Amino acid sequence: MSVRHRKTATLMLVVLLLLSVVLGCAKQENTPASTSTNGAANEKSITLSWPRDIGTMNPHVYNPSQLFAQSMVYEPLVSYKQGGKLEPALAESWTISKDGKIYTFKLRKGVKFSDGTLFNAAIVKKNFDAIMKNEKTHSWLGIVGVLDKTEAVDDSTFRMTLKEPYYPVLQDLSVVRPFRFLGEAGFPDDGDTSKGIKKPVGTGPWMLDEYKQDEYATFKRNPNYWGTAPKVDKITVKIIPDGETRVMAFEKGDLDLIYGEGVISLDAFKQLRDTNQYVTTLSEPVGTRSLLLNSSNPKLADLRVRLALQHGFNKQAMVEGVTSGLEETADTVLSKNYPYTNVNLQPVGYDVEKSKSLLDEAGWKLPAGGTVREKDGQQLDFELIFDKTDPIQKAMAETIQAEWGELGVKVNLTGLELTVQIKRLRSNQFDLYFWYNYGAPYDPHSFINVIAKKSFGISEVLSALPMKKDLDQQVYQALSSTDETKRQELYASILKTLQEQSAIVPISYIKKTAVYQKKITNFVFPANRDENPFEGIEIGK
Amino acid sequence: MISYIGKRMVAVIPIVLFATLVTFALIHISPVDPAEAYLTAAHIYPTPEILEQKRHEFGLDQPLLTQYMHTLQRISQLDFGTSYLTNKPVWDEVKVRLPATFELAVSSMLLSIVVSIPLGVLAAMRKNGWIDMLSRGISYFGASIPQFWLGYLLIFFFSVRLDWLPVEGRGTWQHLVLPTLTLSLVLIALYTRLLRSSVLEQLQETYVQYARTRGIRERVIMLKHVLKIAIAPLITSMGMNLGKLLTGTIIVEQVFSWPGFGRYFVEAIFNRDIPVIQCYVFLAACLFIVCNLLVDLVHLYMDPRISSKGRAEQ
Repeated sequence: MSVRHRKTATLMLVVLLLLSVVLGCAKQENTPASTSTNGAANEKSITLSWPRDIGTMNPHVYNPSQLFAQSMVYEPLVSYKQGGKLEPALAESWTISKDGKIYTFKLRKGVKFSDGTLFNAAIVKKNFDAIMKNEKTHSWLGIVGVLDKTEAVDDSTFRMTLKEPYYPVLQDLSVVRPFRFLGEAGFPDDGDTSKGIKKPVGTGPWMLDEYKQDEYATFKRNPNYWGTAPKVDKITVKIIPDGETRVMAFEKGDLDLIYGEGVISLDAFKQLRDTNQYVTTLSEPVGTRSLLLNSSNPKLADLRVRLALQHGFNKQAMVEGVTSGLEETADTVLSKNYPYTNVNLQPVGYDVEKSKSLLDEAGWKLPAGGTVREKDGQQLDFELIFDKTDPIQKAMAETIQAEWGELGVKVNLTGLELTVQIKRLRSNQFDLYFWYNYGAPYDPHSFINVIAKKSFGISEVLSALPMKKDLDQQVYQALSSTDETKRQELYASILKTLQEQSAIVPISYIKKTAVYQKKITNFVFPANRDENPFEGIEIGK
Repeated sequence: MISYIGKRMVAVIPIVLFATLVTFALIHISPVDPAEAYLTAAHIYPTPEILEQKRHEFGLDQPLLTQYMHTLQRISQLDFGTSYLTNKPVWDEVKVRLPATFELAVSSMLLSIVVSIPLGVLAAMRKNGWIDMLSRGISYFGASIPQFWLGYLLIFFFSVRLDWLPVEGRGTWQHLVLPTLTLSLVLIALYTRLLRSSVLEQLQETYVQYARTRGIRERVIMLKHVLKIAIAPLITSMGMNLGKLLTGTIIVEQVFSWPGFGRYFVEAIFNRDIPVIQCYVFLAACLFIVCNLLVDLVHLYMDPRISSKGRAEQ
């Protein structure tokens, strides 16, 4: 190498080295406190991880904003608690007119936003107006379709008038988005929050402190909070997209808590539980994993076939085997921790003999020497579509394929990308499909709504049931009824029909997992599936 | 030289055009409608009315040719549209993340050069000796172990067990160590073997025998003559790998929670965030072209026997 070449090479190397050092150091000051011992003396803080960035912290929009983070900063008028109990939040009390159309809320007095401004009926109205400006975006939520007008009657009275009675108004108001309240200082000049907000100003117990997109967010206590102040001063959320990395960060002690649905693998959960070094807990059921048997397929239109399929696989063994006992076998489509769902329903048990005789009775016979049942020259075969990135769905699909294969029912498995899978559900292009209900506070009313309302895929699944029209009528009556007893009866009847018809086969109840260091105490899963569990958390030594 | 660079730059245009066309076509033959993808990503139920509204907003109701021309026009102004997921301009989001990826790519490239050049040369000089065996071992390991697995192993030993380095994140030089090691091991494996065989080949040449008979010291022969020629294939490979590193740090960024361009792209794929995917493919194509050009220029600079005129006409 000549002297000139050598000089050039050395120079290049020095420049590159300097560049990487500068780039590396430039970020140093932005690193968050990684453990709870950092920061000010005696400051109580916890660090957790989340797979995705917390998002824009806009209370009125959806993805990429994360529900748990939105629920830390913004509050609803009414709060959803255990067993479906509705408790006052920003509304101290409410009255409902006899015809079920007018809701009058008395707002809690003395509530301030985190910037010190007052919470009153005018700001409630302003938030409602901003939300309803984008009505189409929120049309999935029942209340949006029936809301007629809103008024700020006086400083502490807010009134809503509906076009028609709709009983789950309060449940819909308790969901995390969109009906939560942004302070005046957060509104953009044109008032249209769908395009963005100026800053996240809420009335909730927490306020966003530091934020670095894709890296971390820290929340500190809102000094103006009206309720009981949280015991913890600071919550740091580290964004760690990979589940295994999350577990290792926790084992190292960088994280105090891993919480959520599917945030770590079931294997990792079990492994952490078995070390006995941490606390591991499971929530009540937050949703049901079900299998849809599409009755619009002529083969599945026969109740005997649907029942035979439900009797024909060992649900208990499958759920225990695939989820390592972390999900609970489900006998009914909705678990009993929702309002109106504590109904006595007859489970459809595992009974291979019964299954075979039902198939014979329906005319599907095994040909001599054959393995697949036939009728009128047609084979008894179905396509089961599943999300190919979901290991539980895949394992369950394979188990079902094997067990039904023994009965003489051929199942073809098709792994799909989630968006394609959803598309096929909505366009009714499937035989068998894994489906989940919405959880609290959406259910049971959102569940019965999709039974009757087309284009969600579920109404179509039930389309060949002989009593489908009656079912739809009952759903409509239940949603608009103002009589509590009548509503309970209607729910019982709807759930009974669904149980007997076996088109939605309950498999297991999904639960949230939480793993935390032993110094954390008083951890309670929120009753609302989308809310955060930081309310009562305390830190010991 | 300047006219050569000019010609090469002009040749870039059809390649970039082709890349944009392929991306555009792939997105349009995909079974998911971009408007529906947007609504699914935003957790909004796609009612027919809102689907219609979004299609119009995204210009998807226009003829395909108009859509493509519009895309090209925007890209030429570095406007990649707005992310479906965040509602922010894609280019602004990419600009923030590129330095993180660049930092990782450069540090990995540097480490692989620093390790593989001496290792490759020594392995060739001491053929079948212990250092050659060691380099062979490293190469087997580096070439065969999946990167995500290596990442986990490194985190497990150096972060969880020994508590020397952070598990994830970006900020200090300590954060850079494990992802850099993970990314560079495969490069070290490749470069070491490449250089070893290239050096061995040169050592058979008559000019080396001649130099030896002239009594020139082995070290001088190696550094002044052999390495200068033997390094050529390494430079070609490094050029291609720099492009790969800048676009292919996806898995490593995911494992180490590195807030770079690759991770952003993964999220975009899951959410069908089409403007982001388009931007990624476009930038990847440009990066590969630029890296290729750089390699050729370095060759030209190092070996004047290669005629720039001749190369340009090839």
